[in-house]
Amino acid sequence: MNRFQNIFPAAIRLPGMFLLLILALTGSGMRDGFAQSAPARDDAHPKRVLVLFNDARDTSGNITLQQAFQTELQRLATNRIDFFEEYLYARHFTDPAHFQLFQNYLGRKYAGQNLDLIVVFPAGDYALAGALPAALFPDVPVVFVTANELEVPYAISKLGVTGIIQRFDIRGTLGLILRLQPDTRRVVVVGGTSESDRASLGRIQEIAQGLEGIEIDFWTNRPVAELPAAVKSLPPGTVILLSTIQRDAGGQPYFMSQVAQLLVPSASVPIYVLGGLAVGSGVVGGVVVDSEKLGAHGGQLAFRVLGGVKPESLPIEVETKGTPMVDWRALRRWHLNESRLPADCVVRYRPVTLWDQHRDLILISLAVFLAQAVTITGLLAQRKRRRHAEAEMLNQQTELAHVSRVSTMGQLASSLAHELSQPLGAILKNAEAAEIFLQHEKPDLEEIRAILADIRKDDQRAGNVIARMRSLLKRRSVELISLDLGELLRDTVTLAESDARARLVTISLQLPVKLPDVRGDRVHLQQVLLNLILNAMDAMAGTAKAERHLTVRAELLPDEYVQVSVSDCGTGIPPDKLARLFEPFFTTKPDGMGMGLPISQTIIEAHGGTIRAVNNATQGAVFKFTLKVADPSS
Amino acid sequence: MSSSPESGTVFIVDDDASFLKSSSRLLRASGYAVKAFESVQAFLDQLAPEMTGCVLADLQMPGMNGLELQQSLAKSINPLPVVFLSAQGDIPTTVQAMRRGAEDFLTKLGSKEQLLDAVKRALARDAQERNQRGRRRDLQARFAALSPRELEVLGHVVRGRLNKQIADELHINLRTVKLHRTNLTRKLAVPSVAELTRLVEEAGLFRPDQQP
Repeated sequence: MNRFQNIFPAAIRLPGMFLLLILALTGSGMRDGFAQSAPARDDAHPKRVLVLFNDARDTSGNITLQQAFQTELQRLATNRIDFFEEYLYARHFTDPAHFQLFQNYLGRKYAGQNLDLIVVFPAGDYALAGALPAALFPDVPVVFVTANELEVPYAISKLGVTGIIQRFDIRGTLGLILRLQPDTRRVVVVGGTSESDRASLGRIQEIAQGLEGIEIDFWTNRPVAELPAAVKSLPPGTVILLSTIQRDAGGQPYFMSQVAQLLVPSASVPIYVLGGLAVGSGVVGGVVVDSEKLGAHGGQLAFRVLGGVKPESLPIEVETKGTPMVDWRALRRWHLNESRLPADCVVRYRPVTLWDQHRDLILISLAVFLAQAVTITGLLAQRKRRRHAEAEMLNQQTELAHVSRVSTMGQLASSLAHELSQPLGAILKNAEAAEIFLQHEKPDLEEIRAILADIRKDDQRAGNVIARMRSLLKRRSVELISLDLGELLRDTVTLAESDARARLVTISLQLPVKLPDVRGDRVHLQQVLLNLILNAMDAMAGTAKAERHLTVRAELLPDEYVQVSVSDCGTGIPPDKLARLFEPFFTTKPDGMGMGLPISQTIIEAHGGTIRAVNNATQGAVFKFTLKVADPSS
Repeated sequence: MSSSPESGTVFIVDDDASFLKSSSRLLRASGYAVKAFESVQAFLDQLAPEMTGCVLADLQMPGMNGLELQQSLAKSINPLPVVFLSAQGDIPTTVQAMRRGAEDFLTKLGSKEQLLDAVKRALARDAQERNQRGRRRDLQARFAALSPRELEVLGHVVRGRLNKQIADELHINLRTVKLHRTNLTRKLAVPSVAELTRLVEEAGLFRPDQQP
């Protein structure tokens, strides 16, 4: 039992340890991530990177883009990198003079700074990536990263500028819409009026033409302010697709996420978007531009250029594949079936479950649990099987012992019959004598009383014989109790005596003056003794009558054991057979079963004793077995 | 029950004290003189020629058993009849015991009548055999008076030989044969050859087919 009791706490402890281990690992990972901007690097030649933004720093896409870009570049680079960030605020300062001012400012500011790289997030205005750097720092390589639908001006590629353009995945988003809402009949496209916005709308129109049975409705002439009212009562089967709105019909600058936030509370139908940053404002989602991914991609490109690769040798990358991304809360709101999402779809804002947080940990723990459960089950099953086998074996041993006892009884039957006829015959004779006495005129009552006393005595004697037989025939398991060995030996010798008489064998019993009680099972020990005595008598069948002597002896051994020996004057045991005596089915007798000694051994070993056979120095063999003293202290 | 008409003692030999006591008691109550012995050896030690009666013996006993008692007794000066009592006898033992002249073979669980009947017969047999043995001893004493030659002639006479044949056989003359015959009939006091033959047979002197 101990083994199993110990396993359970271990099973509970183990996942706990895993948890700690994994927390420790992720914790250190997080620290590393934060530590990237920390020095611990070669400060001898810090790289200088000028980062230019078309819009404000807090423009929704910029922060994410810039962080992803900077993190990735810093991760790859071995040198320290100094980033200088500048923002054009183009959306708010539309005057061309502003651009010039900005350019002058940069020229003055970074004139002696030995820039290593210029990274531009142009948001569609390629002048920031082309004309401006070319005018100010013609020798500094330029990399741009942007997400829009505009074509790259020819001039840019001529300048040897490289970059990444992420296209809106309109085809993918329309696919996602139809996948989540197969009964869609109408798509209301809300878009802006800027050059970039119109390019997006153009693409949408182009792609939507290929969709049969879907009506595309472009809402481009309504100011954003009017839209919340307009989307209030759109009929089922309609969805809203939000295109880019850098500037609305009223000339107001917007971001896609701002418009989304305005529309979501009142819209009667789900809203889909093209930009990843709008996800979270309440829209369903779309196959969107993932700013983190784009930023990291840009960081990788910047690293190559910073490392010395000529920008002109790197073609401008155009990424058309977006990232499927949805808002779990919106899916719930519109009763959209999560199982319809593509496998690679990013589901945001799902309540973080333990499963999401510690999936691997849980899986590992489960695996460990499972393995343990299987092991435990296996062990338990094995134990059960073993117990079962043991019980079965014990059962069979008991059965066999019983059979053996019955066969011992068979051998003793004639002598037992004799044993019974003695008292019964005596009773009969006494009764008949009493009848005669009673016929006398003056019956001798003293005599009759004596007769009755004798009858009672003989009746008890007969009863004892029967009790001995019955106890010998009982089928039972070994029950160890404290018992008087001397009495047991006397009784057993008595039981065997009539048989011995018939075989002309004399039995002598030698007991020490003081013999302690032993721990044993009376019936089983009697069986062992009878078996040894009968064997001994069998062994003396060929011995001269005068020498047929059998000795049963008990003696106290020094280490709290009592030894019982049964010694005969027979032929002894051939030395080559001595070793095999206790093997089942091994017998030296022509009609022997070969079970007596193995069963005797089993019984003695169940008593915690041993049994062995040796040849006497002079004549015959002696079988010795030991038994534990019942209470050594007494 | 009337007292037993037979004289003699029942010698009971049994190692089982309880049975020895009860069977002694029964026989004594039935009017017999009883003497009990716990072993064959104890009985044989006390055996004397003047002891009359029968032996009632257990078959299975430690030391000498019933059959050995029977054999010893048969060879002794006082071959008392034996009735065996057995707790349970097997057939070969029974046959052996009966063949050696046991009066009866009873089981210890047998009825009183069987036992008394067997004892009665054994006692009668003892009386008869004792009587026979007495007569035989008398006759043997009478025959002992004969000379060796007279005995030789007697042997031929009881086989029914004629005097002439006897003379030829013994290479003596006819007259001598007649003289021997006269002497032996006088010594034995028998009137006829027929009576002589009966006496010789009774004395167990020599078997008819035996050459003298």
